[in-house]
Amino acid sequence: MNNLNFTIFAQNSNFDYIQQACLAAMSIHHTNPGSNICLITNDVVPKKYQHLFEHVVPIPFGDKSKKSTWKVENRWKIYHATPYEETAVIDSDMLVLDNLQHWKTTLDNYDLYYTNKVQTYRGEWADNTYYRKSFRNHQLPNLYAGFHWFKRCEFSHNFYKWLELVMNNWELFYGQFAGGKYFQNFPSIDVSSAIVTKILQCEDKITSNTTYPTFTHMKLKCQGWDKIYVDSWQQQIGTYLDNDCNLKIGNFKQSGIFHYTEKSFCNQQIIQTYENKLGISNE
Amino acid sequence: MTKGVLVIARNNSKIDYVKQANWLAKRISKYLNLPTSIITDNAAYVNKHYPNTFDQVIEIPNEENYTHKSYKDGMYARTNLEFKNTARCDVYELTPYNETLLMDTDVAISNNTLANCFDENNDVMLYKDAVELSNWRDLSEFEYISPNSIDFYWATVVFFRKSPVAKILFDCVKHVQQNWQHYRNLYQITNPVFRNDFAFSIAVHIMNGNKKGNFIKQLPGTLYYITDRDLLIEETDGVFKFLVEKKDSTGYFPVKITGENVHIINKFSLGRYIDEQS
Repeated sequence: MNNLNFTIFAQNSNFDYIQQACLAAMSIHHTNPGSNICLITNDVVPKKYQHLFEHVVPIPFGDKSKKSTWKVENRWKIYHATPYEETAVIDSDMLVLDNLQHWKTTLDNYDLYYTNKVQTYRGEWADNTYYRKSFRNHQLPNLYAGFHWFKRCEFSHNFYKWLELVMNNWELFYGQFAGGKYFQNFPSIDVSSAIVTKILQCEDKITSNTTYPTFTHMKLKCQGWDKIYVDSWQQQIGTYLDNDCNLKIGNFKQSGIFHYTEKSFCNQQIIQTYENKLGISNE
Repeated sequence: MTKGVLVIARNNSKIDYVKQANWLAKRISKYLNLPTSIITDNAAYVNKHYPNTFDQVIEIPNEENYTHKSYKDGMYARTNLEFKNTARCDVYELTPYNETLLMDTDVAISNNTLANCFDENNDVMLYKDAVELSNWRDLSEFEYISPNSIDFYWATVVFFRKSPVAKILFDCVKHVQQNWQHYRNLYQITNPVFRNDFAFSIAVHIMNGNKKGNFIKQLPGTLYYITDRDLLIEETDGVFKFLVEKKDSTGYFPVKITGENVHIINKFSLGRYIDEQS
């Protein structure tokens, strides 16, 4: 069985997504030492982090997101840019906290796989309907591109060609399949992937109700909290990262993939802890 | 392999827990066909008033550093009383049985479901979920021990078998109890009074690897409960009649439940009922 190889897409805007990607890569090296990592970016990777990536690949076919801040318009290019025959894609604002090689046993049964449910920091299945009204109202498959996986094959190629079409014409497709601008006035990889899945009627082929692969999704309003008086989950519960990079959020040890979602989480203390663990110096 | 039920009864100035234990022991004999032993700080009182009820009477020292808590008696009465609840963590060493069903004295056993514990392979079992009879109250305090924190487990009924797992659990509970202020802060518990439900919940969470898990299994059957704002009116052959607080607190409404185990948290109401029967 081949190792799980990861590809991360990062494109700086007014925020340093490359730093997030480097932190994600450090977490992968710590917990999945046999895995290779590819970074797709047009930005410069700091010298001290360059060895983390087996490949640093420029974004192909020009930059479609010059005017946007969220930089998702190029995400469909991952399929064409990744050097791996089998690729696990994670968002840059994620930490991989465990060895995930056993996920391959499940993933090998699929050409393309999307997670369809995510967890809270407590390890409970998250109710994400607050953020996913268009999914619910328009019967879109509840997919999360934060972690997805594909083999290079005809099926995946076709899926990504459709993803290109939908993302390049997102206003048209969202109007037809997702309620249009009333629900969302910007393109999203999750909604776009769901629309493609609906068009191709391939939900049964690309996801399942197994308990993994999944990830912990730290969006504020899907943590199952009755009362929220803050704007950030980090104001509601504490973050504790020990010197061995074991992460606790509140009273819960985290495992699997941790999607921290808030940019401020990627702070110097977290980065330094991982750098120390991996022996990365600032010189 | 010896097996039996163990209860802890330490009277305070108003509540006769020994009397409740005597009442419970008779129900245990009837429904579970098991002997009951009692842990108490006044063995002379037990032997004088209830000489033939208990399998063994285990005396422990009088608790000196007890706390106080508010005890309600329905919607309209409350009083602040001594709360002697620190002996539960010592039960692993004190029990005379290899397999023990540890129970609060205010659990009204009315069926034989809990007898199935002894046939299970699990060395420790607790209830995580219990069913409240009003069907309107906000029960979030029984879902998590604090709003952002861990699952709530009931220490009301605990099955354990002499085993390394059970020993570790009780040692862990003891550790939490001995360092209560620290754990209270760590788990964001606002009430300063030590509570066994919280200590067992924390111990279970630690034994689950600080994660949500099922290392510690749940007891068989369902535990129902009324709060101390509700009243027990009568019981005949396992048919309980309660008066449960209305949602707007303007009075009570009647609830009848048959053949189920019910945790009667209103100790005064239970005490009055037992007195009426004797």
